[in-house]
Amino acid sequence: MGSTEKIKIESLTYAYPFSDKNALENISFSIMPGECVGIIGRNGAGKSTLCLALTGLVPKFFKGRYSGKVLLDGEDVRQISYEKLVTKIGLVLQNPFSQITGARITVYEEVAFGLENLGIPRDEIKQRVEAVLKALDLWEKRDENPFELSGGQLQKLAIASVLVLQPEVLVLDEPTSQLDPGETKEVFEIISQMKSQGITIVLVEHKYEMLVEYVDKIIFLQEGKMIAFDEAEKIFSLPEIDEYMVGEPIYTKLCKKLNLKNSRGYYPVKFSEAVGILREARCGSDR
Amino acid sequence: MRVLGLYVERDTPVHKLAPFTKLMYAVTSTVVTFLFPSITVGILFLVLSVFLNTIARVLKHLIALLMVVSVLSISIFLIQGMFYVGNYTPLFSLLRLTFYKEGLLRAVVLVLRLFNMISAFGILMLTTRPSDLIDDLVRRGLSPNVGYVIASVLQIVPQMLSTATRIIDAQRSRGLEMNGSFHKRFKAFLALIGPLVLGSLLEARERALALEIRGFEARTKRTFLKDFSESKR
Repeated sequence: MGSTEKIKIESLTYAYPFSDKNALENISFSIMPGECVGIIGRNGAGKSTLCLALTGLVPKFFKGRYSGKVLLDGEDVRQISYEKLVTKIGLVLQNPFSQITGARITVYEEVAFGLENLGIPRDEIKQRVEAVLKALDLWEKRDENPFELSGGQLQKLAIASVLVLQPEVLVLDEPTSQLDPGETKEVFEIISQMKSQGITIVLVEHKYEMLVEYVDKIIFLQEGKMIAFDEAEKIFSLPEIDEYMVGEPIYTKLCKKLNLKNSRGYYPVKFSEAVGILREARCGSDR
Repeated sequence: MRVLGLYVERDTPVHKLAPFTKLMYAVTSTVVTFLFPSITVGILFLVLSVFLNTIARVLKHLIALLMVVSVLSISIFLIQGMFYVGNYTPLFSLLRLTFYKEGLLRAVVLVLRLFNMISAFGILMLTTRPSDLIDDLVRRGLSPNVGYVIASVLQIVPQMLSTATRIIDAQRSRGLEMNGSFHKRFKAFLALIGPLVLGSLLEARERALALEIRGFEARTKRTFLKDFSESKR
């Protein structure tokens, strides 16, 4: 009987070519189908490298010293055929501008590009592209040149271009780093939609206040090593989180300062929970 | 400018023709005028090309292109008229310069050839989206990698130009002088070229990843979203 994990990483170690230092060292974890997992860590922790390893781009695109396994539905990503892999797992990168292939001059054609490459029948391409553009509120922009879209629209286009391939897993590497708060909220709403559709999501994000509202668990990386893989409140309640200087959600910081924990003994990470605890604390002090 | 190219958006029968058909017309009409260097052949194909440009409602744009080469045409008449090696029948003199019949006739053939080439390729460039031309060539066997390189240059070069403008503005705001002596301008060039080239290389790498993610290397038979009637099999 095969494994039920959607993604399983076993003792993954990787170093880029000409580098003495391991970008990832002995990483092991599992993600179940439909889970949304966040990855946090300082710059250089190996977050992007892990994203590339999940999609098989490490080691296919980036050679180097690689050991261990990345299993997708029990199959090593290095053994899965390229055509099958791109429809199983998709990747959205940080810079929306450089994800526009430049091969197509309208938004519609840009989204259709991946399906054309895979030989999907024309009628199905039209159906899928229309559905995705409407779902991401880009249908009105379908005849525009991709390079004339705003940052948020470009990132939605990048997501649409990957979603149209109907991947089972979506990896997003800091998708909101170049977006304003409104655009960030839109991208997270899309992530929420995808989560409700059962897509397994792996998300690298520094905006913790938003991240914790959507993820089931967080992987905490430091210098290529996995420090912890657990629920958000447990991660941000770790005593060593301060010495690693990765930051934390502002509500968690506030509650830490006031030494206010939730009923499970952890500092709250979500806005609504933090508000509830602060209200209780205020009521307690009023008596 | 969003995309490099001369394409003029219209809805005409010429626009609907397959890009490869138009390319073949342009190549054929150019080659024929070289193989049969006569005034009659030149005029015939020029009239045909102008007619097609008229049907395509891009004649105004074609005339703009032809104006660009008209200066060259004048020089062809001057040089061939006076110095063509086969000159022996003087036709007229102007300011002590003698113009010969053979040279002028040859100049007519050459200018017709030039105008014909511009008009024939004008049909292609003015009525065909570059991405459609490349797709049609890929459909007929051009390597998709080569097709992508050509297509992306048309889109990305204008973006690089606007990035260069932003870098120049950023460097200016840091006190870099862009005008003045050669030394100053060379320094400014170095300050521009470093970020532009490095930034472009990093973007190229990310773009290559985006292509990988979109199945660009797939070995399946590609679908082409657009279909031209002559391309149907």
